[in-house]
Amino acid sequence: MNKEPLILLIDDEPQILRALKTILTANRFRVSTATSGEQGIALAVAQPPDVIILDLTLPDLDGICVCQQIREWSRIPIIVLSVRDSEKDKVAALDKGADDYLTKPFGIEELLARIRVALRHSEQSLGNKQSTITAGAVTVDLARHIVTLNGEKIRLTATEFKLLAYMAANADRVLTHQALLTHVWGFAEMDHVEYLRVYMGQLRKKLETNPDEPQVILTEPGIGYRFITSE
Amino acid sequence: MLSRFLAALLCIALLKLILQPFQSFLEIQIIALLYLLPVMLSTVLWGLIPGVLAGFAAFLVFNYFYIQPFNTLLVHQIQDLITLVIFLFVAVVLSQLIGQAREGIRLARSREWEATRMYELISALSGLQDLQSITRELASHTLETFDFDRIELSIPARIGEGALITTIPQESTSQDPPTATWPLETARGLEGEMRVWYSRPQLSAQKNRLLETYTSQGALSLERVRLTKGENKASILEESDQLKSSLLNSVSHELRTPLAAIKASVSSLRSGAIDWNTEARQDLLATIEEETDQLNLLVGNLLDMSRIESRAMKPQKRWNTIDEIAIGVATKMRKQLVNHHLKMNFEENLPLVPTDYVMIGQVFMNLISNSIKYAPAGTLISISAQKETDCLHIKVVNQGPLVPEEHLERIFDKFYRVTEAERITGTGLGLSICKGIVEAHGGKLWAENQASHFAFHFTLPLTLNGSLPDIPKDDFDE
Repeated sequence: MNKEPLILLIDDEPQILRALKTILTANRFRVSTATSGEQGIALAVAQPPDVIILDLTLPDLDGICVCQQIREWSRIPIIVLSVRDSEKDKVAALDKGADDYLTKPFGIEELLARIRVALRHSEQSLGNKQSTITAGAVTVDLARHIVTLNGEKIRLTATEFKLLAYMAANADRVLTHQALLTHVWGFAEMDHVEYLRVYMGQLRKKLETNPDEPQVILTEPGIGYRFITSE
Repeated sequence: MLSRFLAALLCIALLKLILQPFQSFLEIQIIALLYLLPVMLSTVLWGLIPGVLAGFAAFLVFNYFYIQPFNTLLVHQIQDLITLVIFLFVAVVLSQLIGQAREGIRLARSREWEATRMYELISALSGLQDLQSITRELASHTLETFDFDRIELSIPARIGEGALITTIPQESTSQDPPTATWPLETARGLEGEMRVWYSRPQLSAQKNRLLETYTSQGALSLERVRLTKGENKASILEESDQLKSSLLNSVSHELRTPLAAIKASVSSLRSGAIDWNTEARQDLLATIEEETDQLNLLVGNLLDMSRIESRAMKPQKRWNTIDEIAIGVATKMRKQLVNHHLKMNFEENLPLVPTDYVMIGQVFMNLISNSIKYAPAGTLISISAQKETDCLHIKVVNQGPLVPEEHLERIFDKFYRVTEAERITGTGLGLSICKGIVEAHGGKLWAENQASHFAFHFTLPLTLNGSLPDIPKDDFDE
């Protein structure tokens, strides 16, 4: 890529737009801004960005709606912003195609990390998918169904491997409970968060060096899980 | 009444007819005694006056037919005269005595009925706390006791409350004016009005008296409810006033402190007096970030509190493992925990508990940050959980100062602090939010002084709608 990535900010609060624009420009991104859902969609069509940062509370359209409309024609990564206590909205946005979320107020390091992950994944979806993912001492070989910790092979049950493989393939991105349950147990079981609690507990016992301080599998309260490879 | 007199006289005449064939061989004293029987019977059956009348009639019949000379009312022998006088005396006194006893029994019966009815009404009204149910009970009891056709109770409108009209039977309507109207009155004033419709002629004095007691009892109940309501409202208003002012005090103090720190840091950074790469600059920036987090926490706490107070806190209960929640919180709080050791002791294979992950996370966060605030640096904070018969029992123990027993309950009140507020930062809301959340989960939260530790305990029920979770098993992938 020779050009700096373009980021589209959709938020109706001028203070946030101003601050984010300044910070992102300083971090070598090009930035375009929109203050309403309609304007944001129009701008995304006219000048397709590399990443969209979308506030969930907008004056005209619901942020979840904007997500859904953009997903009808594009795979551009979307990161949604919202305040605490609106886990439901975040989950709805993620299940409608958003790639990640941030809770306001957030640190800028967090935002930059999310943008980098989003850019990496959209590159990967263009072709060169990794078949081996490394997270600290853990290595997941998706092609050969082998998981190692510090080079030693770890025995996983079929369900544990399916779960871990799905998370590793989507490393560093948040995966909602619904997405994980649907992928591993099927559509009918998508409300059984308890399955995840039990299996994630088992995976952590096998993979985390110190299960009291998980480094590989992170819980996103009320939302889902994240498999961490870096940072 | 007349029929009773006739019946009494008929009794005497009947006896005369019965005695007709035997009178020649009956002694006069026996006949006199036999004539006392209808007198007694009349008194018992028809009351005092018919009894006395029967007595006189018996006297005349006895005199006329059985005292010489026969078939006249004349008396010749002094002996017969004495018999006659004694007969009259005995007949009258006997009927008097019997009549009085009978009247006494009747009176006692009606008093008993009155008392029972009164008792029923009072016990029906005693527990009631709203005007609607009081008027309904009063109307239905009155209708039943007095056998009225229709009752209408009307309570006039008052400040903050509309007028209320209760009609029994509900479906009845009547264009006629009411047969009688009674005020529902207490010493303090009029509470309402009772209108009654009935077809029978008049209420007896006794029933009138009872109805009066009914209406005044009803009026008292209505007044009681109205006064209690007023008092409650007044005390709620006062409480919420106090709450608001302590909230404002706390909030303005808690908001200004971080704002002052942020403002000072930012303005000194902008002044250009501080070099780009000095430690001072890093300190100022760190201050800004920390204080912003503190502000964010405060706003979150205020929102939670208002949600708990308005009963809008509804946990989204899912099956969760308590260790995962606690570990997640501990990971997030690593920065605040630099000066303390956090130790987690979870039993192997703890059961899943139905919880709202985010809310219970908040409970852990508040309990841990409370421990950080009060326990001296370098000490141990430990979290443990164990399964009990019908709940999971979680403990957060710190080595902070013990709390005097009399404060142990109150530390969960809003804005309550054991020490002076200035020394400890925070919102004064953390623990009461915890209590609200745990109770919304159906559990209990309490604090306890242990030998040299201070402990928070909370429990969470193990079942969700009466059932336990079901986890599918799987096999190894070889």
